[in-house]
Amino acid sequence: MANPLRLYLACIRNTLEAAMCLQNFPCQEVERHNKPEVELKTSPELLLNPVLICRNEAEKCLIETSINSLRISLKVKQADELENILTKKFLRFLSMRAEAFQVLRRKPVQGYDISFLITNYHCEEMQKQKLIDFIIQFMEDIEKEISELKISVNTRGRLVATEFLKQFM
Amino acid sequence: MAYLERSSPTLKETLLKIYRAEKPIEIDQHFYEFGSIQYHIKCSVLDTNIVYVSTSTLLETQGIVTSKEILSATYEVIKNIAVGVIDIVDPPRLGFQLTLKLHLDNIPRGKAAEAIKIITRISEIQAIILSSQLKEMLKRLNFQDDSQAMNNNNRPVRIVYHPSEPFYVFRQAEKITAVFPMNFKDNSDVVIAMSFFQELVEVGSQKEMGKAPQCSWSPVPPFQLRGEPVHDLTTNAGFVSFDITSRHVEGKRLDKTVWNLLNFYAYVKYHIKCTRGYIQRRMRKRMDSLVKRLNNTRFEEESPQKENGACKYVKELVKVQKGKLMMQQRCKDMTRRVKISKFRIRINGCARFRFNQRWISIPKFSSKSSK
Repeated sequence: MANPLRLYLACIRNTLEAAMCLQNFPCQEVERHNKPEVELKTSPELLLNPVLICRNEAEKCLIETSINSLRISLKVKQADELENILTKKFLRFLSMRAEAFQVLRRKPVQGYDISFLITNYHCEEMQKQKLIDFIIQFMEDIEKEISELKISVNTRGRLVATEFLKQFM
Repeated sequence: MAYLERSSPTLKETLLKIYRAEKPIEIDQHFYEFGSIQYHIKCSVLDTNIVYVSTSTLLETQGIVTSKEILSATYEVIKNIAVGVIDIVDPPRLGFQLTLKLHLDNIPRGKAAEAIKIITRISEIQAIILSSQLKEMLKRLNFQDDSQAMNNNNRPVRIVYHPSEPFYVFRQAEKITAVFPMNFKDNSDVVIAMSFFQELVEVGSQKEMGKAPQCSWSPVPPFQLRGEPVHDLTTNAGFVSFDITSRHVEGKRLDKTVWNLLNFYAYVKYHIKCTRGYIQRRMRKRMDSLVKRLNNTRFEEESPQKENGACKYVKELVKVQKGKLMMQQRCKDMTRRVKISKFRIRINGCARFRFNQRWISIPKFSSKSSK
């Protein structure tokens, strides 16, 4: 892993470790309702300051925390048109299948490519450390997958082009 | 690599079906291929040995060769596919450019491989018709001397084999250039196609590909296409040009060159389709691995593994236990029955209280009438 990426991910990991101390908290507005406060934002006293971690302008992570939920939004690097298309395709593919991930939000927060919503229930079901590991691994995998896809698409293109031109010879 | 077969699969299949049929069959089939190629097959029960195949395509060409009709040379090529089997009907069926009368009884019955070969060649008629036009044009352009070309103002020839995919051919000094305006509906298709064009230009410029036609890509149309319809020159993926030299139209190479140029659009589209499929496959694979990783974060994750490990032993124990229990139960039952059978006083309805529930006191019966 490249050093700048390691630093970026380490920073996100530390922030998540600090932010992921969630507890059950019923809604203050509606009786017998229990909603993620980070989504509703009805009571400001239940929200913490959001943390924005930027690797560069195109790559950043927003961590919003509340008493019973945590929202992580990611913006993935898109260096050129092909990367842009591949990122959009891949993240849309994952968002469409959000039910398989449980912690994935169906729609990303505006300005970001993908968002996670972790509630206190998730923290009760899953191991906190492993959940953080998953988020970090997810970020690494996305970057790796997109760069691999880009290389593969170009390689395939080259092979197909070679085959096409060979037919004239 | 010819991903687009020259022969029409449906036509071939139908002709083979008629050829192999033991009983006479009646067929009146009408179908389209690639959106612009139309076929009609007719076979009557009364005369099973004769099959009529009509075909038409969108042959719109402006420039040197203007024809919506098939060239006479093409008729000869079609007739020579299988002498004695193919007759050209004149005039063709209404709405079609060409009607063939096939004498299937003239195809040798004993040799199956040869029959398949002939039928495959017959089902290539559209490829022959399409190629012949461009072939003729390339030949004419090639043999035209420069003065004749200048007189003709080097005006590009617009070739339309598919309504949305026209391309241009024009003559330059010592070469003929084919220009393909590239248009795609989807944005992701445009990006994949652009990366393919970049690779095509790069590969074409390599030394090993020196014999292949020079390929270039440009976002703007070449100046030779000035004055052509605006909708043709409005593209979202630029213009791909191939420079065909005399080397590429010599002898057998002419056939290949023409076929490759005709199929260029289809080739690019097929590449895009495959690439999209490949991307989808990889995404699915990656998603599975991510889901697996997320499932590992659960608290119960460790216990099921241990359970799985211990499960066999537990099952075995339960099995033994079950057997023993059943035996004990049977023994008890048997003893109970024996005891019941040997009991002196029998009261109907109270048998169930005898052994199992001896502690239960005998119910007191009272009636309201006694009060």
